[in-house]
Amino acid sequence: MYRFLRLPVLLVGFFMAASSYAASNSQPALTTEDALGPQVVQPIEFPHNRHAGLHDASDPTKGGMEINCQYCHTYARRSAVAGIPPLQKCIGCHQNIESVRNKSRIVELFKYWDAKKAVPWKKVHDLPDFVRFNHERHIKRFIEQQDRPVQEACGYCHGDVKEMTVARRQKPLAMGWCASCHEKDHPVVAEGGTPIAGQAYWYSFQKPAAAQDANTKARGPNDCWQCHK
Amino acid sequence: MSVSNLLENWSQVRHEHPVNDKPHDPYKWAMAIDLDACTGCNACSVACYAENNIPVVGKERFQHGQQMHWLRVERYWEEDSREFPDQGFQFLPMMCQQCEAAPCETVCPVAATNHTADGLNSQIYNRCIGSRYCSANCPFKVRYFNWYDYPTDEMVWPAEMTQQMNPDVSVRSKGVMEKCTFCVQRLSAAKVVAKGEGRIVREGEVQTACQQSCPTGAISFGNLVNPESRVHKQWAAQQVVLDADKQAKDEKEEGPGLRGYRILEELRAYPSVMYLERVRESAV
Repeated sequence: MYRFLRLPVLLVGFFMAASSYAASNSQPALTTEDALGPQVVQPIEFPHNRHAGLHDASDPTKGGMEINCQYCHTYARRSAVAGIPPLQKCIGCHQNIESVRNKSRIVELFKYWDAKKAVPWKKVHDLPDFVRFNHERHIKRFIEQQDRPVQEACGYCHGDVKEMTVARRQKPLAMGWCASCHEKDHPVVAEGGTPIAGQAYWYSFQKPAAAQDANTKARGPNDCWQCHK
Repeated sequence: MSVSNLLENWSQVRHEHPVNDKPHDPYKWAMAIDLDACTGCNACSVACYAENNIPVVGKERFQHGQQMHWLRVERYWEEDSREFPDQGFQFLPMMCQQCEAAPCETVCPVAATNHTADGLNSQIYNRCIGSRYCSANCPFKVRYFNWYDYPTDEMVWPAEMTQQMNPDVSVRSKGVMEKCTFCVQRLSAAKVVAKGEGRIVREGEVQTACQQSCPTGAISFGNLVNPESRVHKQWAAQQVVLDADKQAKDEKEEGPGLRGYRILEELRAYPSVMYLERVRESAV
């Protein structure tokens, strides 16, 4: 009796179970798990931790220098790509730092300088050719508009570089991972209560109807052509 | 997208372009092409090839209907019983009309083509599975399919030629559909600059490749929402309304003598390209 109903009832049941599961996960979780990229061998083993790492008050010879990421990766705030600093930048400081002049890495660095050759750094964070990623927009949003610490903002995508020697890809940098942040409802008002000029206007696909108060949320750009070229 | 998300945001998911939908703000990219100025020189088409890494397929494949020109210049010969009419050919540059209610979008089985907030009809090559349904449903026949893997085809881009390719545009591979993008790479570059300065893209700040190369300035392109833009002024002067399938000016007995029209408007695709009818008598 009612045998013919068995399959439809089963399917409806499956659908309900799946949708109730989906309902409890309506906000996509920000992917935080690390997906380590390949270990890239660089011509000079550049110690990011020594340059950008936190200052060690008890032993100044051990800790980092807390140099702003954008001091060397200077194009990040004004162009699509962050850029690799020219050799001049390295020499600009290091010609005045006598204490490390005889370290093997610095000797190597000056060899390039004397030979008038650029250091052939290898690319670590390489996005596919069909992706258009803009550093400037992200720096403007997180550092200039929301006043977040530089290392935190860069770290959203680049991981904890200040702990690394040679940089290694730490985040997946895949589309789902980008979208996990872009699909989240982000506050339109900066921490500290400053309204971010035109934030909702620019960053949401839809303009929020309500006035921009502390609770107004907007999402990152979400149409395909924003990132795909 | 989860079911609950879908139900919660139903109004955002259910689009009725262009009527009853959210207005285009701050951008709606549109075009106006003056056929009176067009001499059919094909510079626009060549510029498009160069800008968008379009493969040159050769005579044989062209005859097989495998041409890839995103912008073609159509030729029309006026039939008025004379063998050679004074006017000669009529030319009409035809590219993707970036329809507001695009017939291609609704039929794509994988949603590889969809509408952007700027009123463009986007095509995502990575998502395309090559069903070619969109092309079948396009009333303007402006979608082109990659029948071959042109990047590896020696006939198309010899080794040295790869140096001239545009890095801001994907090189498409075999089995995906492609079409005019209104030079979206230029649009997004201009938008990044404008956003950085906290304003919208100004008139004249961004040009499409075809517009830039047109020797007679027949093509104008810009933001239809911006009342300062040339395109807005042209559309307004010709009384062509974006979200209408019949223009009020054409309903009148005595037409106002305006030249603006959109191709196959009655199909309710709401194209974003307005053409200005040719009126001159001489050949060129």
